[in-house]
Amino acid sequence: MKVNPFRLRGGLAPLLIATVLLALFPLIGVPQNWLLYLFLFFIYLALANMWNWLAGYCGLISLCQPAFIGIGGYTLALMTWVGLPIWQGLIAGAIIAALFAVIISIPVFRLSGIYFAVGTLIVPELLRLFFLNWRPVGGLLYGKGAGYAVKGATTIPATDIYWLTLIICIGSVLMMRFILRSNLGLGLAAIRDNASSAASSGINVFKLKFYSFVGSAAITGLAGAAFYIQQGFIEPTSAFNVRWTMVLMLATVIGGVRLEEGPAVGAIIVVFLHFLLARYGGVSLLIQGVILVFIMLIAPQGIMGSVRRALSHRTPHLRRQPARTRG
Amino acid sequence: MPEEPLLKVSDINVFYGGLQALWEISLTVNTGEIVAIIGANGAGKSTLLNTIAGVIHPARGSIEFEGRRINTLEPFHIVSRGVCLVPEAGRTFPNMTVRENLNIGSYNSQARGKKMQNLELVYEHLPVLKERQNQLAKTLSGGERQMLAIGRGLMSDPKLMLFDELSLGLSPIIINELYRVLREIRARGITVILVEQNVRRSLKEADRAYILECGRVVLSGNVAELREEEKVQKAYFGT
Amino acid sequence: MNLLLDLSTPIVMGILLGGLYSLVALGLSLVFGVMKLINVAHGDLVLMSTYLAFSMMTSFGLDPILSLVIGMPVMFVIGFAIQRYLLNRAFKISMEAPLIIAFGISIILQNFYQIVWTPLSRGLTPSYAMLSFSIGGLNVPLVYGLDFAVSLIVMLALREFMKRTYVGQAINAASQDRGAAQLMGINANRVYAFAFAIAMVLAAIAGVFLGLTFPFTPQSGVSFLIIAFGVVVLGGLGSIAGTFIGGLVMGLAQTLGGYFIGTGAQMFVAYLIVFIVLGVRPQGIFGR
Repeated sequence: MKVNPFRLRGGLAPLLIATVLLALFPLIGVPQNWLLYLFLFFIYLALANMWNWLAGYCGLISLCQPAFIGIGGYTLALMTWVGLPIWQGLIAGAIIAALFAVIISIPVFRLSGIYFAVGTLIVPELLRLFFLNWRPVGGLLYGKGAGYAVKGATTIPATDIYWLTLIICIGSVLMMRFILRSNLGLGLAAIRDNASSAASSGINVFKLKFYSFVGSAAITGLAGAAFYIQQGFIEPTSAFNVRWTMVLMLATVIGGVRLEEGPAVGAIIVVFLHFLLARYGGVSLLIQGVILVFIMLIAPQGIMGSVRRALSHRTPHLRRQPARTRG
Repeated sequence: MPEEPLLKVSDINVFYGGLQALWEISLTVNTGEIVAIIGANGAGKSTLLNTIAGVIHPARGSIEFEGRRINTLEPFHIVSRGVCLVPEAGRTFPNMTVRENLNIGSYNSQARGKKMQNLELVYEHLPVLKERQNQLAKTLSGGERQMLAIGRGLMSDPKLMLFDELSLGLSPIIINELYRVLREIRARGITVILVEQNVRRSLKEADRAYILECGRVVLSGNVAELREEEKVQKAYFGT
Repeated sequence: MNLLLDLSTPIVMGILLGGLYSLVALGLSLVFGVMKLINVAHGDLVLMSTYLAFSMMTSFGLDPILSLVIGMPVMFVIGFAIQRYLLNRAFKISMEAPLIIAFGISIILQNFYQIVWTPLSRGLTPSYAMLSFSIGGLNVPLVYGLDFAVSLIVMLALREFMKRTYVGQAINAASQDRGAAQLMGINANRVYAFAFAIAMVLAAIAGVFLGLTFPFTPQSGVSFLIIAFGVVVLGGLGSIAGTFIGGLVMGLAQTLGGYFIGTGAQMFVAYLIVFIVLGVRPQGIFGR
């Protein structure tokens, strides 16, 4: 069995139990409101896991996620307009998002560090402008600008959507677990620590990052599409909005970057924040921003990071990225 | 009447990269001396110089310059007290001209007023710098860059200059030049600490020396005495 | 012949606009050169100056350009504080922390603007905003000409400042070798804070002139950032001249893109060019 420093102790049992419990919720009469928040939680967790994969384990601070979310959503919507069933649209969303990731990885991977971040920032903006002007099918409908309804979305029962997103969410958790225990995980840990020595020990840095980028894009697209099934319509400004990035970043950072359980804890908090601040629209994001800055300054290892550190002392793997070497 | 030493290092323990690099090091340097610190690679010589210059702070012990403690000060502060480190390989600013490099040498408040004065001096001792004033530092040869580093250090109006591996990688001719400058610096009343792997040469120029091994001082004293010491003879001169 | 005449308007406009764009990029370039940080909040900080000028105009009727007398020192202090108390700490935490914190600041600002000034599109419109002047027979808005003139002046002033003052030289030194700079008596932390503060002053000027030239919303910061980033990428780092050329290319990309494809596509073309250049030659056309 490969020893991997980041893995969570305990087997699949807690996860299974949690899944079954959550799956039962709609059946035992949990209020619709709660189910909606859980739905958000599932989506955010899936997205946060994917971001953690890139930023936490690969060291790629991607500001590109809204692009994949929006592409997933738009693919879904457009598929429904062309007459395809929603389920196919969903899968198509994931695939197209992945393809898109492959295409933009060509320019984007030539960038490192900060260039990468801003480079990825441009992509959602490009898409936003593009979709504002492009009307691939038929006339208008919902939302401002080039909004599209997701045809047939309203015919899908809420509980189905709930279970769908639950599956996607659990899938993302299992995926992360699998990755961390595999060679991929070890390779990523090495790259994270020191990319050049990882490369000289035979790890194909590019390949690993590439697979991670495309893989996370696929699931991000999938989650995005699922989100838009629930929404029923999609329009460019909110689909490709930096809000998404904010939520993912916050969830991951609050929970604990590079920790398997980090995004879960963070996602709970973020959804809770949404619940608290639901009435305060614009202030909500502002507060999230403040929290993000605070957490980064005061507890950059996140909640779970602090917990782990407090609980056990023989954990060298909680060493943060060493501070930039000076002078 | 014994004079107060210019620099007094007392029992410092220094950690570098999580490991202890120096163990209870003590040394003194008197005004006007040239003191050499020699030892094999990894013995801690550079660490010692960096600690004196304030780049690293000792975990224990103290460093006093002109009777005042400097071991808790930041490097830029220590420079204004009159201690200047010429780092390994000089570390001149590659995209600045020779003149600009020299200018920045007089950044600290004590030196600013004497900039033009010191510049004249530097050009006197190191005429090649005057020739190449407007050249970018990165276009200079290794030896010239080292000279620029020395010149830049002189611009800070130092009382004590620390040289880290002055002659590393340079040809004997250049090394002679550099040591000539060193002697002229001393003649100006500036005290010098020299860290060198080239034991023979540094012992030739220095008045006193400290020998470091694995982060400790194993031997110290007048250069003349040291040369007689059997250990030194065996270790460094192979006799 | 007709085509040439038709093209001359977008070309001239593009060049004039390019001046403005290089001005926007100066601050970003300075910070990147010194601290190796792409300040993703740069655009929103530029916008801060715009909104500040807007407030002063609507509350006191103060001319935006005159309001810079207040705006520049305010931005200077804000910049100094951000670097000294936020970013400085962030650098010690991890490689990614400054980026994430800058991102947080960006979001905070964007939403702050939205709350205080509403999402409505605004503009800085003093009396001369509508005037135009002619260059070789073409009618060009006065603000465009002002933009260009001001950016030239600022760039020259910056160059002299960096070369002649001790602070400027210290910033230069610290950006080449921080450790060696410390050994020269330079307080690197303070110098970094100064550099950031100066970048904010540059942003302040850019913000006012952007507001005079274009309408703005709380979200405009993102486009300012992308434009500034594009200029830096195109022009390469480390030279004010390069930034100027980069600005010209961005300006021309926008106006020519709008001319050939349509005004809706202006920003799209500009962004696309940035992205492509990033992919093809990240160190920029003139990069070292």
